Amino acid sequence: MILTPEVLAILLLNVIFAVFSFIAFILSIKIFLNWDIESTSTAQYKLEKQSFLSATIIKYIFIIKVPLFLFFIFTLDKISNVLTGAMCGAGVVDATEYGIYLFLLKIINLYIFGYWLALHFEDIKHENQPYTKLKFGIFIVAFFLFIIELIIEGVMFSSIEVDKMVSCCGSLYSSTSTSYISEIFKIDTTLLLTLFYTNYFLMLLFYFFKQKYFFALANITFIIISIMSLIIFFGTYIYELPTHHCPFCFLQNDYYFVGYFLYSFLFIGTFYGFKTGFIESSKELVSKNYRVSLIFNTLYLIIVSLYPILFYIKNGVWL
Amino acid sequence: MIELKNITKKYEINKNNTTIALHNINLSIQEGEIVILKGASGSGKSTILSLIAALSKPTSGEVIVDKKHISKLPDNFASIYRRDNIGFIFQKYNLIPTLSVKENILLPLVPLNLSNKEMEEKLHTVMQKFTIEHKKDSIVKRLSGGEQQRVAIARSYVNNPKIIIADEPTANLDERLSLHFIEILKEFKALGKTVVVATHDPLFFGLDFVDKEIEIERGNLLL
Repeated sequence: MILTPEVLAILLLNVIFAVFSFIAFILSIKIFLNWDIESTSTAQYKLEKQSFLSATIIKYIFIIKVPLFLFFIFTLDKISNVLTGAMCGAGVVDATEYGIYLFLLKIINLYIFGYWLALHFEDIKHENQPYTKLKFGIFIVAFFLFIIELIIEGVMFSSIEVDKMVSCCGSLYSSTSTSYISEIFKIDTTLLLTLFYTNYFLMLLFYFFKQKYFFALANITFIIISIMSLIIFFGTYIYELPTHHCPFCFLQNDYYFVGYFLYSFLFIGTFYGFKTGFIESSKELVSKNYRVSLIFNTLYLIIVSLYPILFYIKNGVWL
Repeated sequence: MIELKNITKKYEINKNNTTIALHNINLSIQEGEIVILKGASGSGKSTILSLIAALSKPTSGEVIVDKKHISKLPDNFASIYRRDNIGFIFQKYNLIPTLSVKENILLPLVPLNLSNKEMEEKLHTVMQKFTIEHKKDSIVKRLSGGEQQRVAIARSYVNNPKIIIADEPTANLDERLSLHFIEILKEFKALGKTVVVATHDPLFFGLDFVDKEIEIERGNLLL
């Protein structure tokens, strides 16, 4: 078991969130089953008060949970200092069988929590609160995912043995590795880069033709392709090492914490793109979502693309 | 037009202690009417005012103002409704004692982001109307009761609301000032404002310009 101050902070916060979200969960079920905005009954007025309370609880939990993801990554990175063999957060993720599932679940939850927040802020803009039933329905699902996340997180941190040797990222993220990650190195780099830039230009195209559903879908594929290309190709230029593919090391001071910027840009950009297609908003808001999505995705694309270009200018060769 | 339909309002202090302030009442107030709600303390007068002003929600039933279901408004929209439609005059004036007359009157305009020129114009108009201009820069706590009442009236009117709500407006005034307030009510009537006054002051009873006098007893309207 590992209990650093950061781990304690994460676990304690999550337990507090679990207690409050349980209250919101109970109320959400009542609201989801009985909400009728047209009704002037005592029960409906009571539900309206309860929906305000639950929405406030959920809003603050999710607002904190989103940046807490970055703190979680920071914590993994910090723990790697005390685990033999680990050079960065990747070693910690791989230290137990739960790490990768927790990490994936956290990314999924990040989008769900963000989506809930976006839906909530859209809902409270309207007098008749058109998304109330939907947002509490989504919260019922999100609550279970959050509890699963909390359990896996607790199990993961308690399963980490500090005196046990773990793999370093160099061996995990390599084409010679036998891990599940090694499968992605079978993808052809040229094909992946073509997909990456084509996906970006498709997003531009959907933006110009205002195809919001396709734009949202293109953002979903963009995040997957971006992370894969970051591991397989762009990462090697950040490290200036053809064999190093770790998606965690560039979160460290040695690389000027560029990973935090890259992941933030990618998550913000794709989230706003996703929001464009999946939440009915005013024209102005849709247009703002398009712009925010494109700005952050473009920033991501420019930064990752600059690494190999500058490397080539400096050294005259590709890795 | 203000409509209260099948309104019941309960105040739940705890599970075993519930007070029924209004019992299934129906009330209709036309635009431009002056309505006096009379009754003893605790009869439910102020509860009706707070429902019309969207300060509270009914336990059941609905409040409709100009076809808008205000009892169903979420809090942020209820604030906008109050800001745009309602002027309040309270028994204890509810002025900020450390601010000047001018600053108190301008308070309802702060969220509207008006230009200084527009604010000055509105301020000048209401201060003239309620003869308080000579006290413009005086600190409110140094004013007499009657002057404070005029500031409170000016503040309720500065936003040019459609509806003016007054809760026991003369409870702290002597007879001369109370009669002056009644004169102001006449002015409101002439300006086409809808005014709802909750009072147990007999000076308000039987006034010729009042459109409705409604007596309330233990949460029921006596018609």
